[in-house]
Amino acid sequence: MNEGDLIQLLYNDKIVEGFVVKDSKDSLVLKLKNGYNIGIEKKNAKNIKIISKSTKSEKPKFKEQKHNNNLKTIMILHCGGTIASKVDYRTGGVVSRFNPEEILDMFPELNKIANIESEFIANMWSDDLRFEHFSLIAKSVEKQIKKGVDGIIIGMGTDNLAVASAAMSFILEKIPIPVIFVGAQRSSDRGSSDAGMNLLCAAEFIAKTDFAGVALCMHSSSSDNSCFILPACKTAKLHSSRRDAFKVVNDTAIAKVNYKSNQIEFIKKDYTKRNNEKVVIKPKLENKIGLLKIHINMSPEQFKFFKNYKGLIIEGTGLGHTPGHVPNPEAAINKKIFPAIKEVIDSGCIVVMTTQCLFGRVNMNVYDKGRDLINLGVIPGEDMLANTAFVKLAWLLGNYKKDEVKYMLNDNLRGEISERTKYEEEFI
Amino acid sequence: MDYKALGLKVGLEIHCQLETHKLFCKCPSILKEEKPDFTIKRFLRASLSELGEKDVVAEFEQEKNKYAIYEGFKENTCLVELDEAPPGKINHHALNTALQIALLLKMDVIPEIQFMRKQVLDYSNTSSFQRTALVAMNGLLNFNNKKISIQSLCLEEDAARKTLEDSEKIVYRLDRLGIPLLEIATGPDINDPEEAKKIAEYLGMMLKSTEKVKRGIGTIRQDLNVSINKGARVEIKGVQDLRSIPKVIENEVKRQLELINNGKKVQSEVRKANQDNTTNFMRPMPSSSRMYPETDVSLININKKDLLLIKLPELFTEKSLALEKKYNLSPELAYELVRQKIDLGKYIKFKLEPELITKILIEYPKDVRARNNLDISKLKENDFIEILKLVEKGIPKEAIPEMFTDILTKGKLNESKYEVVSASDIESEIKKLVEKNKALIKEKGEYSIGPLMGDVMKKYRGKVDAKKISDLIRKEIAKLS
Repeated sequence: MNEGDLIQLLYNDKIVEGFVVKDSKDSLVLKLKNGYNIGIEKKNAKNIKIISKSTKSEKPKFKEQKHNNNLKTIMILHCGGTIASKVDYRTGGVVSRFNPEEILDMFPELNKIANIESEFIANMWSDDLRFEHFSLIAKSVEKQIKKGVDGIIIGMGTDNLAVASAAMSFILEKIPIPVIFVGAQRSSDRGSSDAGMNLLCAAEFIAKTDFAGVALCMHSSSSDNSCFILPACKTAKLHSSRRDAFKVVNDTAIAKVNYKSNQIEFIKKDYTKRNNEKVVIKPKLENKIGLLKIHINMSPEQFKFFKNYKGLIIEGTGLGHTPGHVPNPEAAINKKIFPAIKEVIDSGCIVVMTTQCLFGRVNMNVYDKGRDLINLGVIPGEDMLANTAFVKLAWLLGNYKKDEVKYMLNDNLRGEISERTKYEEEFI
Repeated sequence: MDYKALGLKVGLEIHCQLETHKLFCKCPSILKEEKPDFTIKRFLRASLSELGEKDVVAEFEQEKNKYAIYEGFKENTCLVELDEAPPGKINHHALNTALQIALLLKMDVIPEIQFMRKQVLDYSNTSSFQRTALVAMNGLLNFNNKKISIQSLCLEEDAARKTLEDSEKIVYRLDRLGIPLLEIATGPDINDPEEAKKIAEYLGMMLKSTEKVKRGIGTIRQDLNVSINKGARVEIKGVQDLRSIPKVIENEVKRQLELINNGKKVQSEVRKANQDNTTNFMRPMPSSSRMYPETDVSLININKKDLLLIKLPELFTEKSLALEKKYNLSPELAYELVRQKIDLGKYIKFKLEPELITKILIEYPKDVRARNNLDISKLKENDFIEILKLVEKGIPKEAIPEMFTDILTKGKLNESKYEVVSASDIESEIKKLVEKNKALIKEKGEYSIGPLMGDVMKKYRGKVDAKKISDLIRKEIAKLS
């Protein structure tokens, strides 16, 4: 008995007929003729008969796409996620679709915006990303730019979409075209998925504007009204499930793309424009980098763990603090924390402070504690997101000498640090 | 019509909302008529080459150039209804009710229940699919010595309700989306339109007996599957009123007959029931391939031990029969006691016939409502007890409507108003009257009772039983002759 076979059996002395969806040791999942799946215990299923063997489902035929010389060409790099996928209605499995024909079949409007090409890099959870994957992506981007594509869309799972785009913005030091990261919060098997709109808005933005550089394109609200083009280094996923989970932190969106009217409104005026400069990529990242979130009741060992690491980002509290003072006997253990941090720094690790508040800037001159940490050698990370600081430090250590790294950490290289914290009536 | 000769086959699909919070979130299952707190705009998309199923395609073709506006309320709509968060844990009360019904209908409960995504591309579900699971199958209903097979029992989410549609958009209200819904489907074993109505009624009674189903307009909906020889199976959706079932079936049989007689093929399709019991084409028959697993909800294992713990409700019909026998009540009164969840035991201590007590609890208030247009739902247990006390004291039945009216309009009873008149008082009053009207009585004989009654009743209405008065007058008149 194989998956997809049509079988008949006796269950409680009644005939049950259905397609085998899953055949495991003790149970059998069948898809009945009425479309429902049911699971039954094998021990209660009698007289199992195969009525017909599984037939391979035919590959659907797609229209061949002709290159339109009047349109720009967009390369879609598939790095996982749920941008385009189809459902196998027999088993319920969701299968990713990578070919341009398949993507165009799902989103036929793309055809009017640009010529679509695609390349498969990986099909994976974004949580399983390693720095090596960024190198793969960077090399592919370089290759595509040399081939002459007008823009690149990178599809990826949303959980690490923001940190990946930040990493790529450092790695792709000079690029003459836009590279837009796109994800989907709601799976693309459903008609209500945000995948299509996010992809179409990204394509529209690439085709119609002179923007160059790395950014993200995601829903601006829960409604299907418009997408924001978000700055790669200043964006965080702030909601586990909503379409508009991606929010700009300590900055503003680059532009807004209206879905149905296709109007594009730039919010930032000082963005990098398309150019003819030669592409420069620096895909090396230092692997031995850590990220530590501060909480109450910490032990010194938690810090000491990072001894001999090359870099550590601390996601501190408030203006950039850690435990370390002993105001009363109950806090006695805290006296070992600053020495532990010192030990880490002395082992050659660069320690950078960011804030778990997300919004606002680190300032370690306000309280003793901050000053003490600076004296230990902790470097304040300005208003960088912890994830951004993490990939920045890895990238700097991968490409520059330690002294340069310390100096460059506080330089705004890709928009990761804003020099002024502007006033917003509602910051979130 | 000779339905037997026509080969009429009818199957029922009963949908019924459950009285509990929503199926996959804790939002209360309440509908609201106010202005919505917020609205969301959405587009749906589907890749047609992949769907391939003509029913889905047809449905989507109609709507693909439109968008939806979803109206929500903070009180009863959360991210789950907005398709902004995955479904939460299944509502166990709802599942439990489903299992009760499954056992009542002698069905095989599925050991591993899997929720499915059933594609719905008319915007009535924000996610573009309805979550639905087959809970049990292969049941049996013995109805008047006839075996009706029960094919399936499904637990699913109700859809959003449409409030407006124009050429560019469809407006849906999200309050109804996600309310747990049971769907019972019978086999095509019904061969007569009246029988279909009775079985629908019986299934409705069974559902209500769990006391866990919603009551009121739109909470139970019927779909019909109708076919005749040489015709085709046609699904008729949304028959709101049980009483219209026979007429809808009759009209469908006529429609199919007409097509057959004109040499046309009857299409197997889904039709929508209209107010006047006719139907309109809705879409082609849905195919099974529009369903795929809901991967956000894990499999639900039902083991035999769990099933043994499920208490079966006593059916309304059984409860009613017991009351009928115990208190010698009419079947109608007994059923009403059960239906209205009135505990006769609370009132039976009065030295009155149970039948009269029941009438005071049910029929008298209903009459008062009909005659005086009063809201009898305001009546409290104590109001009934006060009235029963007076009736027990000997205040005649005739005063009961006035007592209810007084409670509902004045807020209290006025005992002296319905004071008991002694038998001797009435007798002497009647004697006097007969004496005074001797001439009239001599002239008209029996026919004088009417006018004399009128005179006595003017004085004693509501205080003395009318029959008692007419008997006394008759007796006095008889003495004269």
